[in-house]
Amino acid sequence: MNLAQSGLGTAVAVGLLSALAALLVPHRVRTAVVGTGTAVCGAAGVASGIGAIGGQTFSLTMPALLPLSGITVALDPLGGVFLAVTGAVVVAAGVYGIGYARHGLDGRLVQAVLPLFVVAMLLVPVVASVGTFLVCWELMALWSLLLVLAEHKRRPEVAVAGRWYAVMTHLGLVAILIGLLVLVGNADGDSFAQLREAARHLPPGVADLVFVVTLVGFASKAGILPLHAWLPRAHPEAPSHVSALMSAAMVNMGVYGIARVGFDLLGGGSRWWWLLVLVLGAASAVYAILQAAMSTDLKRLLGYSTTENMGLVLVGVGAAGMFAAAGNTVLAGLSLAAALLHVINHAAFKTLLFLSAGSVLHGTGSRDLDELGGLRRSMPLTTAAFGLGALAASALPPGTAFVSEWLLLQALIHGLPTAGVTTAIVMPVAVAAVALTAGLAVASFVKAFGVGFLARPRGAGAEQAKESPVSMLIGMGMAGAASIVLALAPTSVLPGVGSVAARTVSAPDPAVADAVTVRLSGVAGSLSPVMLAIALLVTIMLLFGALRLVASRRARRTARLWDCGAGPLSARMEYTATSFAEPLQRVFDDVLEPETDVDVTHTRESSYLVAAVEYRRRVPDRIERRLYQPVLTLVSGWGQVGRRLATGSVHRYLGYGFYTLIAVLVVLTVIR
Amino acid sequence: MSDTTYTQLLDLACGGLLLTAVLVLWRRELAVIIRVFALQGVALAALVGVLAARESSVELGAVAVGLLVLRAGVLPWLLYRALVGAGPALRETRPLVNVAASLLAAAVLALLAYAVAQPLVALAPAPATHAVPVGLTVVLIGFFVLVTRRRALSQLVGFLLLDNGITAIGFLTTSGIGLLVELGVSLDVLLAVLVLQILTTRMRETFGEADLDELRELHD
Repeated sequence: MNLAQSGLGTAVAVGLLSALAALLVPHRVRTAVVGTGTAVCGAAGVASGIGAIGGQTFSLTMPALLPLSGITVALDPLGGVFLAVTGAVVVAAGVYGIGYARHGLDGRLVQAVLPLFVVAMLLVPVVASVGTFLVCWELMALWSLLLVLAEHKRRPEVAVAGRWYAVMTHLGLVAILIGLLVLVGNADGDSFAQLREAARHLPPGVADLVFVVTLVGFASKAGILPLHAWLPRAHPEAPSHVSALMSAAMVNMGVYGIARVGFDLLGGGSRWWWLLVLVLGAASAVYAILQAAMSTDLKRLLGYSTTENMGLVLVGVGAAGMFAAAGNTVLAGLSLAAALLHVINHAAFKTLLFLSAGSVLHGTGSRDLDELGGLRRSMPLTTAAFGLGALAASALPPGTAFVSEWLLLQALIHGLPTAGVTTAIVMPVAVAAVALTAGLAVASFVKAFGVGFLARPRGAGAEQAKESPVSMLIGMGMAGAASIVLALAPTSVLPGVGSVAARTVSAPDPAVADAVTVRLSGVAGSLSPVMLAIALLVTIMLLFGALRLVASRRARRTARLWDCGAGPLSARMEYTATSFAEPLQRVFDDVLEPETDVDVTHTRESSYLVAAVEYRRRVPDRIERRLYQPVLTLVSGWGQVGRRLATGSVHRYLGYGFYTLIAVLVVLTVIR
Repeated sequence: MSDTTYTQLLDLACGGLLLTAVLVLWRRELAVIIRVFALQGVALAALVGVLAARESSVELGAVAVGLLVLRAGVLPWLLYRALVGAGPALRETRPLVNVAASLLAAAVLALLAYAVAQPLVALAPAPATHAVPVGLTVVLIGFFVLVTRRRALSQLVGFLLLDNGITAIGFLTTSGIGLLVELGVSLDVLLAVLVLQILTTRMRETFGEADLDELRELHD
């Protein structure tokens, strides 16, 4: 039994035992037992995934365990990457949950569902037949739905978010179901090996249909436009460690699905498939980061940022597919490696960010940026963690996202000379989209960090904030350490990820890495994040030293800060999230269509004197309004018509049954 | 038992089953309806008893005795108790379909049942399967009572007719579906009756009478 196999077995067993333990152990130790069990389950998943990336594959069939299809498990390197990422997120979220769940989330049901969700999610990239895959996929959706609804008694918005999530995830499941069953219908059986065999002799239209329909389902899970509407609702309303699990691990399964079906099962396919993926990804990235920049809710901002990062990943996946279809395997491997590395990086920093946002919520009771501020003094460790996460997410050196986005840009830029009108048009636009996204991401995270944590407290909650318990800090610390390692030493994971990507699109290894430097093979380009970080550090220290030198030459005197003569500066004069985003809102006015509202109240004595000015701004999701509103109106119209059938009379309801039965019997008699 | 006696006894029992079902439609006094329903229980038990004698099966005989106790004893007694608790309203006053039309409808339903059951009979022609349409007719009449009668108690009887019909079909087609299954089904019916009895009492407390159309007020 190799590492991959024993790790997976341990993960499933420990996960199920933790769920059982949650039902049995007393209230006092419940969160500790479940949190530890979940973390161990995640660690076993990481071990198994690393084993699989290292080339240990295994497969297992248990025909009797599930009716009709049986259970087929086969771990390959591509699945291993996603398994390891999920496991790592689970470790941090599990430890964090020990402290976080003590306040109202320590009921039997919630605690038992968490490990079950984790097990279902760990199994999704491992299973290897359509039946098993769909079962795990649906279990993952259902358990996560229960977890999203965990706090429904505290806030009414949770129920709304739960409804959106339930509907969207099931529509996505239906799409995936249809796509995969069409594929199964053309094959001898439902195992992935048989599907691969069948895909070689598919009629041309069928493969296109399968890819597009499954793309719809998987894209909705990854929060890609225009099926993203559930994500910025459900992720903020879930308990924070669940948000981290969903946002850093579950959305990845959408990417996994696209890669699995597109590259593996259907074996590549036409160029327009991947063009579609790339365009969707680029549009999602730009649109979502714009919404994030406008958002004043800390967790909603992070939710939109998830959509943005999944968009960037899909840009990489789409570019890989286009290069592979054009025969340029070197660049295909590089793009896919960039995409997979971004999945890993995003998981690390998004876990960190959501966990620190949870810590803020825990300490202050609010996630509205306009009411936060000044947390640096009362919550220093959380502030450090969020700052690190914000830097990691900003795609600036020495951040974590910088490495993967640099790889992605390298792939896109080197794709320019490769022939084809479409490529020549799409690649520069994609480069521009990635660059714009990176810039807006910096603005968003500067806003989140600066407005949320620095300056003075603007609300009662922020004034009375207190630092979180140790287990939560350890959870954040783990995610933070992972972010730092990935930022400074991507050379530790890149060879593994590169070889997986290369094998998936049958290309040579895209990058060579020694201890400090990443060197691309096949195209020119190299990067050394450690050197870059050291150079940055040295520059900053030199600048700082020079300034100190200049400043110390001049005589020092103490004076009051200039406040325009309006009395001492108060917290109300600070930048809020709304005011910080206002310039950006003006620039992107035509895209965002914000709704602003200014109410001026005059004093009673004179209409020239102003007593109060009230300013309100809302940035509704425009795509949601255009695409979803008409559908919802139509459905509720049908519902109104349907109500006429239900008058409340018991006899009428019984009559429907009776007359239908009689009609069926008459039809049977007549047609026989 | 000779073949002729067997067939005649079987047909007699089935005739009783059908006749009592039609009588439930015809009579309006709730007390009489309950008595007719008890008679139907006897007919059903007799039907199973004949089958048991034919196959000399002790198990089936036990089922017949059980059916007699439940459907001719316990259930009518429960219904009667509910009726006594109901006070003066003892008649099914204004059914949604009047009695004459109900009897005509019963005739049409019987025709339909015979037409539909033909393939079932053709599968294995035997005296027992030839009686299947009777069971089906009782099912349809039971459903009809459920749809057209206003009193909660007559609806309850309609539901029980439906169940008698289903049981009859079960025994006629398979000659015994096993003691355990029959026990489970009987327990189910008993529970349903108890629950509905409580519901009737509650309704009377809330609305003053047990007319199911009063429930319309609960609709928003």
